[in-house]
Amino acid sequence: MSGVTTERRQLLMATLAGLAAGVPCASLAKPAAAADFAAAVASQPLLAPFKGVTDTSGNVDSGPLLLRGRWPQALRGRFYRNGPALMERGAERYHHWFDGDGMVQQFTLSGGQVSHRGRLVQTQKLRAEQRAGRFVMPALGTHIDGAPPASGPDAFNSANTSVIEHAGRVLALWEGGSAYALDRNDLSTQGPVTWRSDLQQVPFSAHPKVDAAGHLWNFGSFGQALVAWHIGPAGDLVRVQVGESPYPGGMVHDMAVTPRWLVLPLPPVKLAFDQASDGPRRFALQAGQPLRVLVMDKNDITRRRVFELPPQLVFHVGNAHETRDGNVMLSFVGAADASFLDQGAVALMSGLMPKTSRATLQTVQLDMASGRAQPQALAADVEFPRLHPQRVGIAARHLVCAAGGRGTGVLQAVQLVDTHSGRVRRFDYGPQVVAEEHIVVPKPDTTGELDAWLLGTSYDVRRRATVLSLFDAAHIEDGPLAQAVLPSMLPLGFHGNFTAG
Amino acid sequence: MKTNQFTAALLLSLAWCATASAQTCATVEVDNVRPQQGHLMLAAYGSAEDFNKKPLVSLRLPAGEASKMRFELCGLSGDTVVLTMFQDLDSDGKMAKNLLGVPTEPWGGSGSPGVFGPSWDSGKVALDGSPITIRLSQ
Repeated sequence: MSGVTTERRQLLMATLAGLAAGVPCASLAKPAAAADFAAAVASQPLLAPFKGVTDTSGNVDSGPLLLRGRWPQALRGRFYRNGPALMERGAERYHHWFDGDGMVQQFTLSGGQVSHRGRLVQTQKLRAEQRAGRFVMPALGTHIDGAPPASGPDAFNSANTSVIEHAGRVLALWEGGSAYALDRNDLSTQGPVTWRSDLQQVPFSAHPKVDAAGHLWNFGSFGQALVAWHIGPAGDLVRVQVGESPYPGGMVHDMAVTPRWLVLPLPPVKLAFDQASDGPRRFALQAGQPLRVLVMDKNDITRRRVFELPPQLVFHVGNAHETRDGNVMLSFVGAADASFLDQGAVALMSGLMPKTSRATLQTVQLDMASGRAQPQALAADVEFPRLHPQRVGIAARHLVCAAGGRGTGVLQAVQLVDTHSGRVRRFDYGPQVVAEEHIVVPKPDTTGELDAWLLGTSYDVRRRATVLSLFDAAHIEDGPLAQAVLPSMLPLGFHGNFTAG
Repeated sequence: MKTNQFTAALLLSLAWCATASAQTCATVEVDNVRPQQGHLMLAAYGSAEDFNKKPLVSLRLPAGEASKMRFELCGLSGDTVVLTMFQDLDSDGKMAKNLLGVPTEPWGGSGSPGVFGPSWDSGKVALDGSPITIRLSQ
């Protein structure tokens, strides 16, 4: 018995180490006061959606939407988005944007009509906190006193980062634990996905990449371990590999793929659970540490090369592709410091306007023979880069990004970046709107990168409502072709994807 | 009636499993048991030096029919103890773990074991006749 107990202790400590690395981590700050946000946001109406949902049942059915312009008959499918939504319980409020419980939004586009429903993901964490009527588990930026023992990463899993429909089921994704499966017909939560019995709660990140053939590639990070996932087009587990991180305990948020490689930026940020603080937790780039880019062979992740770039914080990649000479071109958005993670995401939750972003879209050629890397800046003050879904892993010329609002601390525009010429075309929503991620939706029976629509949500202060907008990718500067106005505002979220049909 | 029978069975089981000769007993209350799934695996330690190495007493109990269990634990000694427990859902005698070594079965401990695992300092409780509560992870 004592041997078993000792082993358990070791495993639990391994859990601690892993969570400190692979999960969006808990700070030891105390919850904020909901009343403080209400007071502050009164003078920052752009930030009102950070209030989050107030109906903890988690069901939003928007009913008839106000449609403007002409929604194409040919645009048929489901547009999903996910993001932190439940921010408050009682008088307590999370400190950090990344803390809130995830809510999946589903916009159904059919025959020129648009409908919407949203559902909180019924995670183990959410259900426990619903029963308790209060926050129970620690989150990225908020310490909760008296938290119960945790049975692995899913005890903290808020399923709040992205969502994708793959092989007929909707996957609500987080960074440090299981994907949660939802029914695509009604968004009811089916539960955490266990791809194989020994893979229970193994992290399955929020940024999988699906190639043109429908193969889904993903990674997970846990302490020293990096997990590489390959899910087949039918949703079957093809292979899982476990390797070691060249930067153990570091944050890993996104990944690019090519036909041969998995490409992971490893920014020099470590997130630890064990540093007490009475206020919001501080995050900083680790002094003297570079941005690493890990390139691993899909077929054997032990075959790899690590590149070193100037220190910066990277959340998101744009794309990667292999060049004729065997090198890898990667695009990503990087910031020279961790100020958004450290302060910006806390300010938003406090009802305060954050400072202007310093994030820049860059490309870098990774010389697989020499190990040299040559980054080049393309566009400043952007985030959420996306591309034509049929170009994942192969050469793509255009990236669409949400962009800053020329002086404000939030995103207020959508822009198309030509990565060859550097030309930027842009549509500004205006000073009364917060723009969210926009994605590329191919027009039926086309293959050109700009033979596509751009689809994305925004928050319009004047209407106090969320608006779904559709652009022609080739004429983004002309503004939306069509819009659907919801009757109320949704929480501002992170990422989403479209499934045609 | 059923509860009484179960408690009696537990007492017999504990008496049989006790590995120490001392006869100090304590009431143990366990929350968040997954009913009728496998066994509870419990170890009691009497000092920081022996923690996770040499238990005063250890035992294996079938999970009951409810999410709460209460029983008498004998074989304890000293003024302070730490109890650690996991629910062996598949009754294989060890805590299940995934490919990365992360525990995947419920666990808990006396005192304030924290989120990630008990230690002597966080788990120690006075052996003063008060019930000892263990809340299993969910």
